[in-house]
Amino acid sequence: MIDLRIAAVGDIHLGEDVRGQYRRKLEGIEDRADVFMLAGDLTRHGTLEEGRVVADELRGLSIPVVAVLGNHDYHSDLQYEIAAELRDAGVIVLDDDGVVIQCGDKKLGVVGGKGFGGGYAGKCASEFGEREIKNFVSHTRYIAEAWKVALKEIVADHRVVLSHYSPIKETLEGEPPEIYPFLGSYLLAEAVDTAGADLILHGHAHKGSEKGMTPGGIRVRNVALPVLGRAYSVYCLNCEDEFHSHDSQRQAG
Amino acid sequence: MEAPQYVVARVQQALAEDGRTHELGIRVDIRGDQLFLRGQVSGAEQRERLGQVAHETAPELHVHNEIKVVDAGAPGEDEHLD
Repeated sequence: MIDLRIAAVGDIHLGEDVRGQYRRKLEGIEDRADVFMLAGDLTRHGTLEEGRVVADELRGLSIPVVAVLGNHDYHSDLQYEIAAELRDAGVIVLDDDGVVIQCGDKKLGVVGGKGFGGGYAGKCASEFGEREIKNFVSHTRYIAEAWKVALKEIVADHRVVLSHYSPIKETLEGEPPEIYPFLGSYLLAEAVDTAGADLILHGHAHKGSEKGMTPGGIRVRNVALPVLGRAYSVYCLNCEDEFHSHDSQRQAG
Repeated sequence: MEAPQYVVARVQQALAEDGRTHELGIRVDIRGDQLFLRGQVSGAEQRERLGQVAHETAPELHVHNEIKVVDAGAPGEDEHLD
């Protein structure tokens, strides 16, 4: 049995005043994990200067680094420029698409993007009424559909979804329920449950809880740094042969 | 006199929207002429900026900055998802 080890964190919120500090905490990550994933909110205000700090902190790590952006990274309308800085530093930035990473003899598929809000089944916004509300909900619906398609297309031994917003309520526990609709949407979970995946990682909810699962039984981890209380956590996917065949069948279905 | 609920909302809005802070998860409470800030941030400078923005937004109140600075520790035990 060989584990596929995923180091993950979100909401690192870096800025010039903490330059170099986070990088120091990444020492030895290549011995602990096969891939490093960042679940958005890498900056505080979404400025290009902050984006460059993040890029410098992540540059030259000897394991693949996959990231999505978060709402803070969109604040200055420079999300594409920040993503370009990160890509120049060797980071794979997902924007409602997917990538396959070779980890040893295993292929790891990662699908994701920022995600968006709307709320959870039974207590959520719907595409009805004012144009502004319809735009809000249809944005999440568009993202969920893109993830579903990307997951179905990817051919890999394991599939992980990387998001900023949460697909489930469970990992929001600790946040005020009144703001749940701004923290995520069940549409994201529904899409991933339909297409299948081994794990969903998200951030955004600083006061939430680490562990939960989708209605379909896919494990969800809120890796927001304030939730973890550490530089990152490591999740190991079991690569037993039995698990493989199950996964392949599900993908084929 | 402005109802404290509206002052709380104004301070929270300022902490989220002010270019110096942009911090969304800070709890603001007012008791009499005392204003309390609670939550977690990643650095001492950000904590100080939040206190400053709160003070500027509600200068008539005494600000108690109880925000905690969280230093991300070393990674702990791996979790095996089997």
